[in-house]
Amino acid sequence: MPDPASISCEDLSYAYPGEAEPALSGVGFEVRAGEYVGVVGPNGGGKSTLLRLLNGLLAAGSGTVRIAGHDPTTEPFEVRQRVGMLFQNPENGLVAPFVEDDVAFGLENLGVPRGEMRARVRGAIEAVGLAGYERREPHTLSGGEKQRVALAGLLALEPEILLLDEPTSMLDAAGRREVLDRLRGLRREKTILHVTHHLEELLDADRILVMNGGELVADVYPAQLISDPDLLARNYLVLPPLLRLASGLGLEAKKPRTPEDLAREIQHRSPRRTEAR
Amino acid sequence: MRLELRHIRHVYSPGTPFQVEALRGVSLSVGPGEVLGIIGGTGSGKSTLVQHMNLLLEPAGGKVLVDAVDATTLKKSELRRRVGLVFQFPEAALFAPTVWEDVAFAPRRLGLEEAEIGDRVRESLALVGADHLKDRSPFALSGGEQRRVAIAGVLAMGPEVLVLDEPTSGLDPASRQDLLRLIRTLRDTGTSVVLVSHDTDEIAEVADRICILEKGEVRAIGSPSEVFYANPDFAPATVSTVAALNETGWDIGHPVRFRETLRALAGLMEG
Repeated sequence: MPDPASISCEDLSYAYPGEAEPALSGVGFEVRAGEYVGVVGPNGGGKSTLLRLLNGLLAAGSGTVRIAGHDPTTEPFEVRQRVGMLFQNPENGLVAPFVEDDVAFGLENLGVPRGEMRARVRGAIEAVGLAGYERREPHTLSGGEKQRVALAGLLALEPEILLLDEPTSMLDAAGRREVLDRLRGLRREKTILHVTHHLEELLDADRILVMNGGELVADVYPAQLISDPDLLARNYLVLPPLLRLASGLGLEAKKPRTPEDLAREIQHRSPRRTEAR
Repeated sequence: MRLELRHIRHVYSPGTPFQVEALRGVSLSVGPGEVLGIIGGTGSGKSTLVQHMNLLLEPAGGKVLVDAVDATTLKKSELRRRVGLVFQFPEAALFAPTVWEDVAFAPRRLGLEEAEIGDRVRESLALVGADHLKDRSPFALSGGEQRRVAIAGVLAMGPEVLVLDEPTSGLDPASRQDLLRLIRTLRDTGTSVVLVSHDTDEIAEVADRICILEKGEVRAIGSPSEVFYANPDFAPATVSTVAALNETGWDIGHPVRFRETLRALAGLMEG
């Protein structure tokens, strides 16, 4: 029998109690093991509801969810073992007096041997760039630092599948780069579903799911999405500033990744280039 | 109102081995009709600083001045009405059965008459574009809607200074644009606005002055153009692009906002 898909949803629907409109309706897609898939769309589009259905925090109204072949509602243990979820607001997740205890919290619950636990905690703290913070108290950390502690706690559990709900929303540019680099390092090794409002974080993703009004409205490659102004506009998506500048100058086909890329392209195209040294 | 912070110091867990000096003598001010943008890396002290603006945190040293009056001499309730603070993820504090009741909570505590409370709630909800949500449960709203309702709750107090700590974090691009528009509207009606964000592209579009915090100190403060061109590590994409061109010998000036940058660059392409 071939390996089941890492994540699979079929005709998935859900309505919150007391709400007439469904939060999710008829959503179907598959994510293979090792894929890096982005999820974008407006607030209220169904992104967070989808994640909660995938890890069994919510039970599907109709349709099916399978995580490595398991149903999150009837086989929660199988699913929780494989899935690590990081929420938007790191404040909600931090529980222990010191950073290292917080990162170790999940491992203690699983009964991991002491020596192995230490090594995993150390590795995870280093991975998020917080070496030296082991004995800091979480309440003295900034929002961005707390988010990195939460991510470290997740990585220490070594899940196969990472569900990330805007993991960089509280990070500054440097912290964001650090976390995104780390996520890039986990590619192929983990299956990653990454919800974000920042398209620039998904330019290297394998695919991007666009959710709006509770429906999956597109399942596309990043390059397709950023070069489709109608698809972007219909889903209230805005290109990152650099791509918007490029597009305003008629250079969108060049897809600059850095300001330097764009500057070079402008120089190249400008009739004034002979004046420059 | 003019809000001024002078030499503010703050220490977490003083006298313990875990002592952290979060603010080391920060001075800045914001005046009526001005948007002061505060940026800085994680751990630079931004959130600690804003909690001093209405003395939610007491400084270990330094003074907070409200129109030149020492804030410690004002009643706390008076100070917190005049300096409205919107925390990170303010929607976590929503609690009432309906949006209307939630926004009415604070003005009711001020002891206002029902008619006045009604006016304030209506105005605040209209300002954030949430009038149509007034009868809904705040818990059934989307993240962006909840954020706007939470901000309306602070606006209903009628603050003279509005302090927003990472107000767009977690919002979709369209909701972000709405929030920036709201900030401009408030500024234009004479409210002083302090906007804390780690998103320099966004802050560049709306701030009149910029302050960079670093390790609890002010690294730079001034006009967006001065600050961003002198501190490339915090520059928005617009400034970085122009700076890269200026470095090759072209002189395009120092635009910051998207539109003026696009205009300057388009001029180059036309020759």
